[in-house]
Amino acid sequence: MKRICTYIRDCLAAVLLLGSVSCTERVDIELDSTYRRLIVEAEVTTDSVHHWVILTTSGDYFVNEPAMGVSGGMVELSFENQILALTEIDSLPGTYETPFAFRGMPGTTYYLDISQVDIDQDGQYENYHATSTMPSGAELHSIELRYFETPIVSGYVVQMYANHPPDQPDWFGFKIRNNGRLLTDTLIKYNVFSDELFDDGYLPGLPVGFLSDDDPLQAAHPGDTITFELNCIELFYYEFITAAHQEIIGNNPLFSGPPANIKSNISNGARGAFAAFSVQRTSTIVP
Amino acid sequence: MINPFKSILLVSSLFILLGLNGQDTYTINGFVRDASTGEELLGANVVLMNGEAGTMSNEYGYYSLTTGSGRSTILYSYVGYHTRTFPLQLYSDTVLNVELEKLSLLLDEVTVSANRTYSNISSLETGATRLPVHTLRMIPALLGEVDVIKAIQLLPGVQVTSEGSSGFSVRGGGRDQNLILLDEATLYNPSHLLGFLSVFNNDAIKDVKLYKGDIPASSGGRLSSLLDVRMKEGNKKQFSASGGIGTIASRLTLEGPIVRDKISYLLSARRTYADLFLKLASDKTLSQNRLFFHDFNTKLNFVINERNRIYLSGYYGRDVFANDYAGMYFGNRALTFRWNHLFSKKLFSNFSFLNTHYFYDLGTPEGSFQHFNWKSYLDDFGFKGDFIWYLSSVHTFRFGASATYHIIKPGTIITDSPGGISQQAELDHDQALESGAYFSGESNLGKRFSLRYGLRYSRFSNVGPATVYSYNDKYQVTDSTLYEIGDFFNSYQGMEPRFAANYMLNDNQAVKASYSRAIQYLQLASNSTAGTPLEIWFPSSPNIKPQVSDQVSVGYFRNFLDFKLETSLELYYKEMSNSIDFRDHAELMLNPKLEGELRIGDAVSYGAELYLKYESKNFMGWISYTLSRTMRTFPDINEGVPYPAPYDKPHDLALVLGYRIFPRISLGLNWIYSTGLPYTFPSGRYEVMGNILPLYTGRNEYRLPDYHRLDLSVTVRGKEKAGKRWSGEWVFSAYNAYARKNVWTLNFRQDSADPNVTYAEMTYLFSIVPAITYNFKF
Repeated sequence: MKRICTYIRDCLAAVLLLGSVSCTERVDIELDSTYRRLIVEAEVTTDSVHHWVILTTSGDYFVNEPAMGVSGGMVELSFENQILALTEIDSLPGTYETPFAFRGMPGTTYYLDISQVDIDQDGQYENYHATSTMPSGAELHSIELRYFETPIVSGYVVQMYANHPPDQPDWFGFKIRNNGRLLTDTLIKYNVFSDELFDDGYLPGLPVGFLSDDDPLQAAHPGDTITFELNCIELFYYEFITAAHQEIIGNNPLFSGPPANIKSNISNGARGAFAAFSVQRTSTIVP
Repeated sequence: MINPFKSILLVSSLFILLGLNGQDTYTINGFVRDASTGEELLGANVVLMNGEAGTMSNEYGYYSLTTGSGRSTILYSYVGYHTRTFPLQLYSDTVLNVELEKLSLLLDEVTVSANRTYSNISSLETGATRLPVHTLRMIPALLGEVDVIKAIQLLPGVQVTSEGSSGFSVRGGGRDQNLILLDEATLYNPSHLLGFLSVFNNDAIKDVKLYKGDIPASSGGRLSSLLDVRMKEGNKKQFSASGGIGTIASRLTLEGPIVRDKISYLLSARRTYADLFLKLASDKTLSQNRLFFHDFNTKLNFVINERNRIYLSGYYGRDVFANDYAGMYFGNRALTFRWNHLFSKKLFSNFSFLNTHYFYDLGTPEGSFQHFNWKSYLDDFGFKGDFIWYLSSVHTFRFGASATYHIIKPGTIITDSPGGISQQAELDHDQALESGAYFSGESNLGKRFSLRYGLRYSRFSNVGPATVYSYNDKYQVTDSTLYEIGDFFNSYQGMEPRFAANYMLNDNQAVKASYSRAIQYLQLASNSTAGTPLEIWFPSSPNIKPQVSDQVSVGYFRNFLDFKLETSLELYYKEMSNSIDFRDHAELMLNPKLEGELRIGDAVSYGAELYLKYESKNFMGWISYTLSRTMRTFPDINEGVPYPAPYDKPHDLALVLGYRIFPRISLGLNWIYSTGLPYTFPSGRYEVMGNILPLYTGRNEYRLPDYHRLDLSVTVRGKEKAGKRWSGEWVFSAYNAYARKNVWTLNFRQDSADPNVTYAEMTYLFSIVPAITYNFKF
């Protein structure tokens, strides 16, 4: 349902005259400062990999510098009586990886604990904690590519065929690769979906991505291998991504509510997200 | 415990006894009409010059005045018309229908008499303003189109919610807290072109009156205001036509008698043609857009006899935004059937049957990569019965009842894509019955003191079929209950007392005070400032209590310069409980569990409104200034810390001027200034998955830059010749004449060239917008 709403908003934007009447320009604005916060990006998936936890800090809005990694912290991932102490990667300050590769399991609850960090620089360490349960969900069957052409846009639509548990709410995220290169490589390109509109257990030909001919980084050519990745995610992560999209897209008095902080599942005022989700992939070749 | 209803009856009875004495009294009654068209004049002053009594014609132009048998002179006056007087010596009840001649030119010889402007001193209304139609024409307008709602946004206490929008906030209330009536039928979205124009065609309108909070007891269901718009009945004397051709729209109105002085009609139509200009654009994204609206107003008026008349009025309007990629269609239909019946000279009645239909349709063409279609509509079926009892020169009573059945269909959605299976989903409908009964009285207790007292009883019931969700304290659904067709499964009711008092210090000045309570059972699911046609109205329910407001106001009114200068200062304080706002990042569109997105709290609004209005032979103008604050306190928003409401603007100033510099040339000027809207700016930022996300410290802690704008117009009238029916005028206007870049929205972006860099970006809608319109009449 929420993906339909996003689509509706896109259509509204397409038909509205305002895009041609209104004008935009950069302006100088003075903003206040706020205290530093811990930022967490952490995932546990069903891929057999060294899972990462990335710790950075927030900054002033116009700091215009890359986010600083938080080094020297203690990061632990625990599940089913196992406690894994992550180690910081020397070449990537603030990035911590599990000591060995392992495959996350649907139905398992994962706990993330972060300690021995002093984000507010008051000489006292803080502790942070997060929990995520990996959903068990859809069964991905296949994808199809369908070429779509209009005077405004043209390109390949990626359509997914999958089963999902009927009569229960499920949430999904979509990633797309072209010849192994991740096209959905930023948060704004990572689309999420709620199956509220579909309760019969089948997602037939659901459009999950669009490879626009106008974008050289996105365009698909004959012979390319398009790989689609289906993530079964929690409600919290779905709402996190949705809210982040709203904040990135920005405010429009016609159909936006007031800006607001994006809810995090990290304790003690930290921001970001810890998400456990399953991964399924399938590929097809552009004809 | 004091029963308010019994108290009202007791007080009324005492007043009745006080008002009756042993003197012979007779009643003079009739209609006040326009001499050239036969249109009834609403709110015309009818005054006995001996100071014994006075009244105003009601919403249908009817008046009734009871007085003693002594000699007097009776005066009839109405703004924009010549005053008429008649010597009076009543020996029996008398019917006197009066026709008033319109002034020959707009600002020609405005006959200011003590009684023309007597009404703003003697009137019991606080916070109410009647906008004469000729005043609307004086105001320079966006795109050259005179607009009712744009005009009321220039009044004190009324604020525009977003640049170019037809949404308005009255004394800090939300956009959905205004009851907007067209010939008594409710309009839920009175906007065309996403708010740049309203649905009101000025050529078809006879009267516009705005009540800011002190709403008559006969109306209810909204907290902040009543905008009562009345259509013309149609020229009963002769066929006439009027219209205009402008840069963005054209309109034509035809009216005339079918049977002279008995049956008349009015047909009015408008259409925009902005999309015709778009076809000239080289940019395909513009040239293939279809963008227009059309609307129609119709009226049929039957005078059956002196005691009975029937009106049929209708409005239909539709907006189209479409291209090959997607389309949006929305509109209103409003139908009213009314029967006026005079039971006696002193007992006037009106019975109305009403239907409102608001609809929208959004979708993509079949065959598109994800075809979808979303239809929604809202229907009202209503009945009203109103009585006015002109008991004596001292007392007038009003009473009546109403009932409205609401049917809200938030959405039927069909989706399919090539290679996929078509799916259909339907959000639950809402049905509700909203009813009310009221009694109110106006009593003139001596020459200087008058009182209005009233009580409205309102009741609201949800009607099945329905699915009602139960929520825990985290707003998560825990259970659901199904109700069958016709089940009345939840009710609310309440008393809404309304009081007002007026003490005239002398003929030039008065002090007024009022108190009113209002209850609102329907609200808009919207958290945006401007809004779109796709918004859903939703009813009170087991999870949502009705919103309630209590407002007190006091005012000082004084006229100067032989009543040419009207001034007033009003202070108000309003508390709103069970106010509605929405959680952060609420999902309001197509959400079956919408109630889980709501948050409940309180709001307070207070302010001072200063109004100065001047009219003379060649000059008309007003200054309105409002100093106000509106704050919300919601436990689940902003961590319970009070925050400014979305329309909180501490300073709001409008200067409106009309000046006839030559007999055929007039100038019009608006200058508007207001504090910038409250806004939420980031104080920090962080990075996730390559995107920068903002950090905020509080809702609405900042403000957009202040808003100000100058509009100008020049009107050049054609030469008037005796016997010549055709008259025309050219109107040249410039909206935002000094091209101020007023911020419509402010966003914070990540630079695509250097992702570490962020910047602020403002969007403004309009630079200078010129327009040319030719208006004609014959």
